[in-house]
Amino acid sequence: MFILPWMKVNAAEENESYDDRYCTTCHGADGRGNYGVQAPRLAGMEPWYLQRQLENFRAGLRGVHLSDIEGIAMRPMAAKLTDESIADIIEWVGSWDYVPAEITIEADAGRGAQLFAQCATCHGADGLGNETLGAPALRGQNDWYLVTQLKNFKQGWRGNGDGDTFGQQMMVMTQMLTDDAAINNVVSYINTLGRD
Amino acid sequence: MTRFVTRREFLNLVGAVGGSSAALRAGSALGLLPVTKTAKALDLFALGTNSKKVAILGGGLAGLTVAYELGKRGYECTILEASHRCGGRVFTVRNGDLIDEIGNRHYCEFDDEPHMYFNGGAARIPSFHNNLLAYCKELDVELEVFVGENNNAYFQDDAVLGGKPVRIKDYKTNVRGFLGEMLAKSMSEQEMNEPFTELEAENLLSIIHSFGDLREGGEYTGSSRSGYETGGFTTHGVQKDIIEFRDLLKSRLGGRIMTASEGEQGPPLLQAKDGMDNIIAGFLRVVGQEVKYRAMVSAINVTNDGVEISYDQDGVRHSLNVDYCFNCIPTHLITGLDHNFPADYVKAMKYVRRGDAYKAAFQAKERFWEKEDIYGGITRMNNRSSSIWYPSGGIHKDKGVILAAYNFQGGLYHTNKTQEERIESHIKDGEKVHPNYRSLVEKPVTIAWHRMNHMLGCAARWNRSRSGWTAEEQLMFDTLQKPVNGRHYVIGDQITVHVAWMESAIQSAHWAMEDLDKRVRAELA
Repeated sequence: MFILPWMKVNAAEENESYDDRYCTTCHGADGRGNYGVQAPRLAGMEPWYLQRQLENFRAGLRGVHLSDIEGIAMRPMAAKLTDESIADIIEWVGSWDYVPAEITIEADAGRGAQLFAQCATCHGADGLGNETLGAPALRGQNDWYLVTQLKNFKQGWRGNGDGDTFGQQMMVMTQMLTDDAAINNVVSYINTLGRD
Repeated sequence: MTRFVTRREFLNLVGAVGGSSAALRAGSALGLLPVTKTAKALDLFALGTNSKKVAILGGGLAGLTVAYELGKRGYECTILEASHRCGGRVFTVRNGDLIDEIGNRHYCEFDDEPHMYFNGGAARIPSFHNNLLAYCKELDVELEVFVGENNNAYFQDDAVLGGKPVRIKDYKTNVRGFLGEMLAKSMSEQEMNEPFTELEAENLLSIIHSFGDLREGGEYTGSSRSGYETGGFTTHGVQKDIIEFRDLLKSRLGGRIMTASEGEQGPPLLQAKDGMDNIIAGFLRVVGQEVKYRAMVSAINVTNDGVEISYDQDGVRHSLNVDYCFNCIPTHLITGLDHNFPADYVKAMKYVRRGDAYKAAFQAKERFWEKEDIYGGITRMNNRSSSIWYPSGGIHKDKGVILAAYNFQGGLYHTNKTQEERIESHIKDGEKVHPNYRSLVEKPVTIAWHRMNHMLGCAARWNRSRSGWTAEEQLMFDTLQKPVNGRHYVIGDQITVHVAWMESAIQSAHWAMEDLDKRVRAELA
């Protein structure tokens, strides 16, 4: 594995330089996700989805609501990215091997399966996502992150941005998850889908 | 409607709470001071012809302490530092320095002079932090006095006197006068419950009189302790008007003002001359060759006879196999690494919350505070910026660097703002104390520890209840303090019960090395 030096930013020639490859500080070694700072898994994320989210953060469509604690931390990072930096990050993320995420949430997967029928319309019965429909893979993501995002969509802390069509869809869809138990159930079902 | 409490009612209230318990609670509000003994030389076994390899993850103070001490005993140490600099939260910024906040990377533009620096992290050394002071002496780090408490600095609260800044000496003198008068009156007018001898009563009254600077008869009529309105040298001084006690009671800051010179933040305090990172430089003069910079750990695998570490440097993944590992990476970042730690160890790491302390500083175009009789010390404000610190050094030079904000517990407020919003907020807060502040300050830096690259947090937060540690929290702490397989130690102020002090980082390193030493002695015996 190698990393190309990219986008050296020099305020002055003698100053310490840095590129925009900050991802692993928060998202863990090889982008495996880090519970400690609630940063999700990037390894294995689809390039088109990663790009859309970075662009959403940059455009202020995500990470704006003060209750979206982790999104608020992500947004200033993305706000400074150029198109070239985003392309570089996507290439970098693509170099990481996917490692199955640790299962931390166990709930009623049976009930979750019933709820997931709705999710499957876009994200696929196998939870592997559908680029045409703009729906990312769910299985293999850190389960605690899925829970946080479902709650954020449901509360309107994510997806509420003007022009965030997919986010608005998710805000509507998550209303069927009537309480925290339902959210945990559906995520525990996603956990059973596994991913190599 | 506000109900006013008479002085007598106040005394009865204090009495009703119970003298000793009230005193105890007042004492604990200061924060309990840890017991420190004279620094003892570490008695560690020297390896001689034996060979042991050690990896130190993170070049902060705890890691450097380990490298220094074990290096002396013949251990072969390698320090992996993820960032471009050592020191961790011992961080001094000067001209040209990078402040690597994720999403707000900026460079310090202070004038390039020795006194133009800002301690963005550790900034004070209490005179009883003996292990730290012993290293400063041993490593030839020059120290000077840090002025923390300054009676000429200000206290500012929008709720008091229309927000007008009040000198701390005026606040304290008046509060003490009124409290002293209440005590004196209660002694002369009421029979004391506890019988005193005549001498004891006389001495107590004397203490009360000097505490409040009272007149005959126990009256407080103002005091020259806070200086005169005019005169005092070649003409007789004209006393200042008393500030009404009720006005002073409108502020919630009272506790902070009255205890500012007590305990660990009280005088005498010290600092490293020309910047606290000179302590780090002192260690690096000895162990600097052992540091690999921009070397980011990706995996830690503890085996029965050692530790296998992977790290990325210059775009290449390296491996490092050692006998022992001292890990100073913040616990909330260790959880993001590939590792094989036991479940209870991981549970403890996941439990610890990360602190969000925030600091900011300005370069001042002129030393305007010196024109207001202020030389060093701290102005305290009842707003989010909280404090203005005036530099202890560089007296009477043209310019200086002042701390413009320090929010230890609620730093996320500023962290969540843009750089421009942060700066504007500090200017607005500071203008309430120094009217021309806006035109006097420039070249800001902000240090939001919650977002600093490779840190993402200030001091660890172990206990979640104000009433102290739960048994479960203590158990998790004990678990994380102990080594895995006798091979892997987590160190740093994060593994102490007294976080955010350099002395704590050093003592955590000492604890771990002494534990290691027992194992090594047993193995080599």
